[in-house]
Amino acid sequence: MHTTGLAEIVRPRDLAEAVRLAAEGGEPLAGGTDLFVRLRKGVERPPFLVYIGDLPELRRISVGESKVEIGAAATHAEILASPAAARLPILRLALEAIASPAIRAMGTLGGNLANASPAGDGLIPLYLLGARVNLVGPDGERALAVEEFVLGPGKTALRPGEVIRSLDLPFPEGAPRAYFRKVGRRRALIIAIASLGALLWLRDGTIERARLALGSVAPTVVRPREVEQALVGRPLAPDALADLVEALSAATRPISDLRASAGYRRTVAGRLLLDLACTISPGG
Amino acid sequence: MARVKAPVEEAEQVVGKAAPRLDAEAKVRGQARYADDLSFPGMLYGKAIRSDRPHARILRLDLSQVAAHPKVACVVTPKDIPGENVVPIIYRDMPLLANGVVRYVGEPIALLAAETREAAVEAAALAQVAYEDLPAVFDPLEATRPGAPQVAVPAAAEGGNVFNHMVIRKGDVERGFAEADVVVAGEYRVGYQEHAYLEPQGVIAVPEDSGITVYGTLQCPFYVQNAVAAVMGFPLAKVRIVQTATGGGFGGKEDVPSHLAAMAAVLAWKAGRPVKLVLPRDEDIATTSKRHPGLVRYRTGAKRDGTLTAVEVEFYYNAGAYQTLSSAVLWRGLIHAAGPYRIPHVKVDGYSVATNTVPCGAFRGFGSPQVIFAHESQMDELARELGMDPLVLRHKNALRVGDETATGQRLTESVGLPEAIGRARELSHWDELQDEVAAFNAQERFRRRGLGASTVMYGVGMGAKAPLLDKAGAYLKLEADGSVTLAVGTTEMGQGAQTVLAQIAAEGLGVPLASVQVAPVDTSRVPDSGPTVASRTTTVQGMAVLDAAEKLRARIVGAAMEMLGCPKVVPGDGRFHDARDPTRSVSLAEIARWMWAHNWDMAASGWAEARPVDWDAKTGLGNAYFVYAYACHIAEVEVDLLTGETRVTRFWAVHDSGKIVNPETARGQVIGGIAQGIGYALMEELPAEGGRILYPTFTAYHIPTAMDMPDEFVVEFVEASYSGGPFGAKGLGEVPLMASHAAVANAISAATGTRLRAYPATPERVLDLIGRGA
Ligand SMILES: Cc1cc2nc3c(=O)[nH]c(=O)nc-3n(C[C@H](O)[C@H](O)[C@H](O)COP(=O)(O)OP(=O)(O)OC[C@H]3O[C@@H](n4cnc5c(N)ncnc54)[C@H](O)[C@@H]3O)c2cc1C
Repeated sequence: MHTTGLAEIVRPRDLAEAVRLAAEGGEPLAGGTDLFVRLRKGVERPPFLVYIGDLPELRRISVGESKVEIGAAATHAEILASPAAARLPILRLALEAIASPAIRAMGTLGGNLANASPAGDGLIPLYLLGARVNLVGPDGERALAVEEFVLGPGKTALRPGEVIRSLDLPFPEGAPRAYFRKVGRRRALIIAIASLGALLWLRDGTIERARLALGSVAPTVVRPREVEQALVGRPLAPDALADLVEALSAATRPISDLRASAGYRRTVAGRLLLDLACTISPGG
Repeated sequence: MARVKAPVEEAEQVVGKAAPRLDAEAKVRGQARYADDLSFPGMLYGKAIRSDRPHARILRLDLSQVAAHPKVACVVTPKDIPGENVVPIIYRDMPLLANGVVRYVGEPIALLAAETREAAVEAAALAQVAYEDLPAVFDPLEATRPGAPQVAVPAAAEGGNVFNHMVIRKGDVERGFAEADVVVAGEYRVGYQEHAYLEPQGVIAVPEDSGITVYGTLQCPFYVQNAVAAVMGFPLAKVRIVQTATGGGFGGKEDVPSHLAAMAAVLAWKAGRPVKLVLPRDEDIATTSKRHPGLVRYRTGAKRDGTLTAVEVEFYYNAGAYQTLSSAVLWRGLIHAAGPYRIPHVKVDGYSVATNTVPCGAFRGFGSPQVIFAHESQMDELARELGMDPLVLRHKNALRVGDETATGQRLTESVGLPEAIGRARELSHWDELQDEVAAFNAQERFRRRGLGASTVMYGVGMGAKAPLLDKAGAYLKLEADGSVTLAVGTTEMGQGAQTVLAQIAAEGLGVPLASVQVAPVDTSRVPDSGPTVASRTTTVQGMAVLDAAEKLRARIVGAAMEMLGCPKVVPGDGRFHDARDPTRSVSLAEIARWMWAHNWDMAASGWAEARPVDWDAKTGLGNAYFVYAYACHIAEVEVDLLTGETRVTRFWAVHDSGKIVNPETARGQVIGGIAQGIGYALMEELPAEGGRILYPTFTAYHIPTAMDMPDEFVVEFVEASYSGGPFGAKGLGEVPLMASHAAVANAISAATGTRLRAYPATPERVLDLIGRGA
């Protein structure tokens, strides 16, 4: 049986109270764009919700010397409008691909991460940049690498009562080129069937270093490190990368669902490497 | 073909001019009141208890826990129905509540009304139903095989599960194919299309004035009136239906509101309180009508020079468990199966088949898009075989005045198809466009573009299958201050009908549009005006409005002549002028005041009946529709060879719908139809298993967004005037959707080099096509 009634929403005064309420069993609520969908399905019934969306401590976006720190409750639209997005093109490309203006105005990067969907577009830049997740809980603060934080679909290392405070996104060295592409049935408001994000460091058209992250093709976002290694020293051209398409496909562990078959996901994930080679022009 | 001038003396002032939608401001401001916005004192929330089996006998129905729920006010089972347990549509096979046997998942079994929406949902889940499952069948072809489980109520079927089998036999197809130099053949499949109207289904039944009033989001108030009266056992005069602001219909609110309103009425009557029944989106998608899934087998023969000699078509539509509108849908599919072409030999067999699935119904195009996918694919396949330009092939065979349609109807006027094809060719710069696309394809490694064209015809109005319904009434009232109230029996559902009808009234009266106010549609105001379907409103309802306007105008003019003491007056600037001395004039307000003061009759009713049609069921021949609308669409689609993703990059749409009353609303209809066709061809898919719709949500069912519209589109009208329509107007509403999907499909086939034979062309399916084309 499902209920259409909504759990009570509690508004903490500050982060400390939010943590206390969360420790009492309240589920954090930011933009609600994932949570309300889940609640309406009726599978989850948290005793109450803790609205963290307007805590100033969670909304700050600060651009430092070596990194950007983004408050967990900053919305995608706020991040896109901030200098952080201008400084980190990969972040901009990925967040622009999320849903629609209305959802971007409500949804937060912290919510995207805590939701831990392998299709979360905002997770791709976090994996590529080696983001750290700053947590605050009843036992104090701690920080985890994003790859340690996300454990599986919908599963995170969050302990009871813990809240994501912010995300540290270090600036990559040099000036890597950024690529993001998601595959789906329409051009907006779409959960990725497969996605690929990349940072490529180029010199004279040759790949010096590469980071890749695949979405929607495994229980979590995947960094195919063998392919990243194999890219080094190759010219950025489809023909020079053709033999790695298979290797990239092999790095996936996809499932079949209503959106696509596992076979399609595997094929397409690999082929996005060729799209990357055509999209990023070696010069400029 | 030359553009025909509208048949009026003076140039039109209001008709033919863009005017903002009369309902736009209230909708944009959020002031329009939709069904769920209304509330009545003491109102309860209704809910249907529905079958979760595709085919079963109900052994026991225990509602004791439902009734015991503290917030439940009343429970209804078939024995509580005061009148007949039937939803009368075309046939009478569908019960309001299942009669001991359920035939589809979601079929209503019992009803309840509770104090809150939440309680209604909770209580519905407390129903205990014991079923004995019966063998079920979900595929229409399987359902026609001997030994298949009997789904159709025998009295409503021609035989077994075949609800209807309809034919066209024109000429001798065997001879036609023998005369052909080239024959192409193919099989085409399409699935469900969901209407995805913004506002879900919803009604409120209010017991009042010793009868029942139902407020609701609906297309066809007189259908609803008829269904509620039957179920309540009331005279029609005790049932009043009032349309609320309606957030989209697309055919989905043609027959379904009859079912919902009748359920709400029975509950309200038993409870003695108003009952609101609004469907949540998942229930709406899972249990209400959709476009029929179809299988179409097609064969076309032509001479070396492209002259068509024969077509043979066999098609099957999955009707679902009950007839609802399927016989009419099938008939329109039948008449449209051969396309807008001159073909001497035609053989068509259409079948609508009962299965244990949700009843399918009306959806923009009404049985024609499925066969159009087939006939327009065939035209391209033929063009390829012949090495002919697909537009040239279409133009060569396009119907013209004097030609005979597939049903042997001789077209005597208003055939703008050849002109539409010519204009589409010019607007798209078709020849240069081919070169551009070829250059793009030569240069791009992982992208291919393709061009696709389609041409369609559309029989305006109900046609010879339901001529009794092709009528309309209107009521026009001049108020004492010169403002005008217009009442009509057809509905605004977002298509712009209200505005267009007000324009016709204003033009007919010779007054400015701003003085006309359209009353909410209410069955007590005008006679049964038939349904708001079949792109008939502008044409048929428009003629009724014009009829009323002409009667009232005669009186206005008479009053003005008396006031001015002159033998002739002419309208202009909202005033009526002495024809001999235009400086002498009276305003409409002055005339109205004068008429009121002199006790004149200030209202007029209007009536229109569509021109006669006839059709013979044995041969399938006859004058199927009183007139046809036409269109030619061209789409450019880009396919990503790596992923199979597609994107419609450019689009050209040229329509002949006769006189265009409001170019802006007409353009809106065309653009909306392009979007809906893009959805049908590319993305809309509603998988079902065991008769169950698996994912009845918008998370899974993708309709196009603004981002999926072409980067560029051009919309134009060629106006081949129709003498039976107001100012020469024909219908438009459905045609854009009918044409657009087929152009997109042909463009995908051109880009991939393989024939797309099933919708939707999802990335996965397109990648498969690319693989096979390589
Ligand atoms: C129509 C629609 C389209 C969408 N399209 C996309 C898309 O294209 N791409 C995409 O990636 N996502 C998409 N989403 C999903 C969603 O919008 C994003 O994941 C969004 O970023 C979630 O953020 P939120 O603030 O709304 O999270 P909420 O719904 O508020 O929360 C989600 C989960 O995270 C937890 N949570 C939130 N903040 C914190 C915190 N600070 N600490 C600990 N836990 C926290 C909540 O308790 C909850 O469990 C879409 C959703 C909808 C409804």
